[in-house]
Amino acid sequence: MARLANLETEYPVLDSTVRNFCASHGIFSVEDFLIHDLYMLAAFAEQNNSSERLKEGIAQVLSIIDDMHQPWLNGMELLEDAKRNKHVFPTGIQGIDLLLGGGIRVGQLTELVGPSSSGKTQVCLRTASNVARNHLVLYLDTGNSFSPQRIAYFLGKTINPSSAQAKNQFLQKVMSNISCHSVFDIFAMFDVLHQLESYLRCQDGRGGCQMRLLIVDSISSLISPVLGSSSTQGLNISYTA
Amino acid sequence: MGSHAKAWLVEDESAREMLDRVLTERPFLLLPPLHRVPLRVGNVVELAGPSSSSKTHILIQAAITCILPKLWKGVSYGGLGHSAMFIDLDCRFDVLRFSELLNHRIMEAANGSSSKVGCHQKDSEAQFARMKPYNEELFALCMKRFLYIRCYDSSEFLATLKTLHYRLQKEREVHGVNVHLLLIDSIGAFHWVDRGSSSFPLEYDNRKSWHLQNVSEAVVQEIRRLLLVHPMLVMATKAVVLGNKYSTNELTWNYRKWSAVDNPYSRNITSDQQLPYREYMPAAWQSFVTHRILVRATDDDLVNGEHQNNSIYLLEWLLPPLNSLDKFTVRDTGVFILS
Repeated sequence: MARLANLETEYPVLDSTVRNFCASHGIFSVEDFLIHDLYMLAAFAEQNNSSERLKEGIAQVLSIIDDMHQPWLNGMELLEDAKRNKHVFPTGIQGIDLLLGGGIRVGQLTELVGPSSSGKTQVCLRTASNVARNHLVLYLDTGNSFSPQRIAYFLGKTINPSSAQAKNQFLQKVMSNISCHSVFDIFAMFDVLHQLESYLRCQDGRGGCQMRLLIVDSISSLISPVLGSSSTQGLNISYTA
Repeated sequence: MGSHAKAWLVEDESAREMLDRVLTERPFLLLPPLHRVPLRVGNVVELAGPSSSSKTHILIQAAITCILPKLWKGVSYGGLGHSAMFIDLDCRFDVLRFSELLNHRIMEAANGSSSKVGCHQKDSEAQFARMKPYNEELFALCMKRFLYIRCYDSSEFLATLKTLHYRLQKEREVHGVNVHLLLIDSIGAFHWVDRGSSSFPLEYDNRKSWHLQNVSEAVVQEIRRLLLVHPMLVMATKAVVLGNKYSTNELTWNYRKWSAVDNPYSRNITSDQQLPYREYMPAAWQSFVTHRILVRATDDDLVNGEHQNNSIYLLEWLLPPLNSLDKFTVRDTGVFILS
């Protein structure tokens, strides 16, 4: 967090008088202001000689703090944002779409829970094939369960039987929209997610197809070794000091 | 001097007048399903429960009751007409569901008043069609009174609380509406993150480190200060895991403990309560809470027509301890008390 000394160039109000006063109360950075009582601080500032300047300094820090949180929205703005930006992607499976009220919603984390062999990977593959028609999909696979043949099968079922060449082209285009990574431990996943974050930041500038779906199959095999369960599936991570 | 002293003795208002004034300015709120204990500004209510036990729904219901006006164009909506603030620490708020619930409440109130007049079927439809632009205007008015913010970590949460006073003052000046309700979704959202943040040895002695204790004390202090200047009702949800408080493996619910409704003597509720879950919030927050409620979902379903299967939830008051379990179910128009 920004130390107060470094902020002086940008906000000349936070000069050495203010900083010394704050230091006498154990405040050295903006983060320290957050866990201190600002009213008490203002009361102490009142008793100080240069109280006006100190109070200006505190007010300046408050306005810095005001930039540190998300903006307040009212209900109408929220609703408009949801209607405009938070699209719904149908998964292609009728029952699930009905249950979810249209499909998977942008901005929400949808969790598929079930015992083994209950069809979770199939739902993931079907959703990936459906969304990849128009958007980019990132598929993180922890158990080597990604099957391109299955995706091709799903796509083949839904396109019109036109020429083989057109079919091939379509398949190629959609399949190239899905990028599949194998991750076997939580640290590899963190790496991929950091790369994804920087990718998404520069994606907003470009046009064209945008990454809209992240599928993790399955998250439990990444987390349970860290939590130390005695499950036989997945790796056990041993730590060395 | 003598006249001044006498002026002290002249009464301003009788006790009855004072009570009338206080009750109109700061009314008691009876929000279903929390209708057993009337709530007032200055109370801090904690809704504890496992995942998917309708805690957020209860908050949303309170918010809708708060933002609806009491009376609008001749129709009584039974609301308070004040603003409500929602601080979302879980970042899971679904605004589309919120707007759906608000619309249902508005339509229910509108239909309720028209049916009271005793309209014929055709008349009520025409009246409904005529009321549609009114409904949209009222909907927009209510939605504008609902203020929402998300916080992604404790420092954002503290920053929000510290600047809330000025925000509320501005709200009051611009819209002339007071904020009556402060809703926090999941007060324990950053508990484990803050607990895990290690304290580096800081070079200065009097510097406070970013500990869980310091953060929660700062949060409680900020809310307390805010309540002094802007009296509000604070409601917070808290996600807990029910079960044996000492077990760390698979947690199972112990239904036998709770079927003691028919055997009230087996439950000794003392002031030092036996909570059915492990309390993880720090002492600063625990002592700040004035009312505590536990909700959970049961496995029973209420069959409501051919397609609708609403699950039944159980509600129990832990503070003040009432020896009763309320059953309710969640419908589009809100919470429906079963028993």
